[in-house]
Amino acid sequence: MKQESITIREKETAAKIQNTHINAVRTKDITKKGVRVFADGNIGISGAIGDVAEEKLVENAIQNLSVGIEYPYPISRDRKDHRSYNDNPMTAGELLSITESILETLRKEYPDFDFSETISANEIMTEMRNSEGLDLKYEDAHYSLGLILKEKKSANLFDGILMCVGCRFDMDKFWAFNRPYLEAYRNRVALPEGEVLPVFTMEPDNLMSFLNRSLNGERFATGSSIFSGKMGEQLFNEKVTLEQNRNPLHQPGAFFDMEGVVLPEDRHVLIESGKLVSVFTDKKNAHLYNLPHTGSASGAYDGMPSLTTVPLRFRTDSKDLKGALKGQPAILTVISSGGDFTPDGSFAAPVQVGFLFDGERIIGRLPEFTMRSHISKMLGEDYIGTFDNTVFYIGDLPTQVQGYYMTIMK
Amino acid sequence: MYKFPKGLYVDVRIEETFDTKISFKKLTLQEQKIRNNRGAFIRVFDGRRWYYSSTTDINGIQAQIDALAQMATPNREILEHPIVKAFEVNQETIMEYDAKSVTDIPAQEKQELLESYLTLITDPTIVHHSSFYADNKTVKSIYTSKGTAVTFDKQTCGVRINLELSCGEKKNQTSISKAGVFFEDLLNLEDFFQTELEKNIAFTRDAELVIPGEYPVLLGPEATGVFTHESFGHKSESDFMVGDETMKAEWALGKRIGQSLLTIIDDGTVPGNGYVPYDDEGTKGKKTYIITEGILSGRLHSAATAAQLEESLTGNARAMNFEFEPIVRMTTTYIERGNRPLGDIVTEMENGIYVDTVKHGSGMSTFTLAPDRAYRIENGQIAGPVNVSVVTGNVFSALAEVDAVSEEFELMSFVGGGCGKMEQWPLPVGFGGPYVRVRKLKVQ
Repeated sequence: MKQESITIREKETAAKIQNTHINAVRTKDITKKGVRVFADGNIGISGAIGDVAEEKLVENAIQNLSVGIEYPYPISRDRKDHRSYNDNPMTAGELLSITESILETLRKEYPDFDFSETISANEIMTEMRNSEGLDLKYEDAHYSLGLILKEKKSANLFDGILMCVGCRFDMDKFWAFNRPYLEAYRNRVALPEGEVLPVFTMEPDNLMSFLNRSLNGERFATGSSIFSGKMGEQLFNEKVTLEQNRNPLHQPGAFFDMEGVVLPEDRHVLIESGKLVSVFTDKKNAHLYNLPHTGSASGAYDGMPSLTTVPLRFRTDSKDLKGALKGQPAILTVISSGGDFTPDGSFAAPVQVGFLFDGERIIGRLPEFTMRSHISKMLGEDYIGTFDNTVFYIGDLPTQVQGYYMTIMK
Repeated sequence: MYKFPKGLYVDVRIEETFDTKISFKKLTLQEQKIRNNRGAFIRVFDGRRWYYSSTTDINGIQAQIDALAQMATPNREILEHPIVKAFEVNQETIMEYDAKSVTDIPAQEKQELLESYLTLITDPTIVHHSSFYADNKTVKSIYTSKGTAVTFDKQTCGVRINLELSCGEKKNQTSISKAGVFFEDLLNLEDFFQTELEKNIAFTRDAELVIPGEYPVLLGPEATGVFTHESFGHKSESDFMVGDETMKAEWALGKRIGQSLLTIIDDGTVPGNGYVPYDDEGTKGKKTYIITEGILSGRLHSAATAAQLEESLTGNARAMNFEFEPIVRMTTTYIERGNRPLGDIVTEMENGIYVDTVKHGSGMSTFTLAPDRAYRIENGQIAGPVNVSVVTGNVFSALAEVDAVSEEFELMSFVGGGCGKMEQWPLPVGFGGPYVRVRKLKVQ
């Protein structure tokens, strides 16, 4: 019988903020353990939170074998890879000191706003080991600043957000960006003229979610993906390259999937120069549907490996954001909540918080509006590009800015 | 039980959870998992700041209390602090689900129930499906330094089937879900699942892209539930109001919000996803009228917000699980039943949109509903299906646009998903209500 274990440990100190003051301090130290056993082509699973003896978990997993869940795939083996991405995590004392300093400045310089929510320091350790010589360990630490902003004269639940995530907090860079950003909140401007305008975003959540659904190997193979039957076809603009990316320097998270697979250079290309070249799969779906295996298993610490979503990242394909605009005023979306794609790829979303910007500077806050397009246009004829984010400081991770021409409805 | 340090307010919440998850891909069993976990959340308050700790070491709770107390500054007047004074002192044990506990049903029986519904899926339009049975039984105990000692249980269970549909170039992904509080609530639902399957197949086959514009919109009970939750429910959570004079003025009690046909209730005593016999700081669950006949009549509170706004407790301090502190959240929130037959309401609509089911919603200044199934209404009749990305409206004006409320009424619970508020997602909530017509919403 083969045996595999997964351990996740999460430590956190969080300052909870209300009305621009620290209201509470929360500490957390949670360990989650899962065990898998493999015998006669079947898998048994078990798990628990807290300090539970591994022998007990193994016993439970062996009992679970009797359920008869098939897993006739070779488990990952003979690989040791321990990586630690931040050996100097922010301490609780540093966190509180930084938080007090930021809040003091906000109270003093921006008394017309209220700020609330959380600034936290988090440490994560994810470990996967098995009886076949697999020994993977990911350790990382980040601070995370997420403050919702409310204008005191506004009757909205909130009016905007300050964000910053990274390994080392840089107070000078934080204020160099956020002072003009907060000034822009105070400067109300009108939407530029025109029905179709360049729109940029740092977090295209709706788009990533739609692409994740559509590039899932199981959906592709069973015919329910908008991309089904289109392998090798030119779907999008030739500039567009999209990859499954597990590089923790790009997006915090384990560099291996939940079947212990490590990708070459931690990435796998799915769309290359606009052409569909791969969908993502775990071991089971690769076998079932005769697709290339791409190390894309997800799942809970105590669950079966499964195929749901993967971390996606566009490859940066453009430089000179200002030059790309050719003098045209553009929109930066900061909060766009509640929109969605229809199954056929049509997209509409309200933009609750957006700014007018010129490619270098945020100029002023726009009224709410709705934007509309289609997946084939956004990443096709209306695609402007994906740029390294050198304009907006939201931490020291290498973030990106992506732009498309969108139909705007006031 | 615990030695509470002097000069500080302390509460301890212990959660013991039992979870089952059984999942299938098509007719192949993927997972059968049973979890038994325990964890605790501890809060210490010195009148100036709260100190929280989350732990899985139940035997080490006293040590956690002592460690948090070391960070706090003892306060001789702590019992006179308005927040501490506001806390109820309750001592009660309510175990409603011992008799018909999901912990007593064999996993095989749960699996066979799910498999029985999967046999209904035969139409080739459904090219793939995944499904799960899930249940949860949680026993919570809350102890406070003011003397509260309450223990209670809550339970939910449900079946969800996720469908992948394909009809030529037309694709669709949707789900069918049914939840209850007892395992027996999930039995004999063949007609429900069959009807929903047929609706989804027809929708995928026939849906056309909606012509964007402003329409009168009829919301079914599920859509009404999401609309109520997103368009107004979050506004009634009073933590957004603390220290904010503009919000207090905008949402002053007594203000007219809608027509007199509109009454909105949040009720923690309704069994299901929003069942809160005691909230997560030991306040007894209550039924709160937040809008009564169109007039703003109440809002939802934790002890802190009730004290700060000088209003009464409502039992709405809820945490997602033992890893988080309680914050103000909804329980089961709904528009009260109206007095008009659904048929009459539809007959009055010449050209509108009917939103039957919803994928998700959001609620800032603009609320959104992303419909799953929506239909045109033409000449007083529900007509063909339409694909709609999003329905939007302004939270400040949408409730005033409600001009018809049906006598047909349904409250519902779900498995999978829930309400999100900042870092705490998903929290199970109950919702639903009558059919509701909104005079004008943007449809994209």
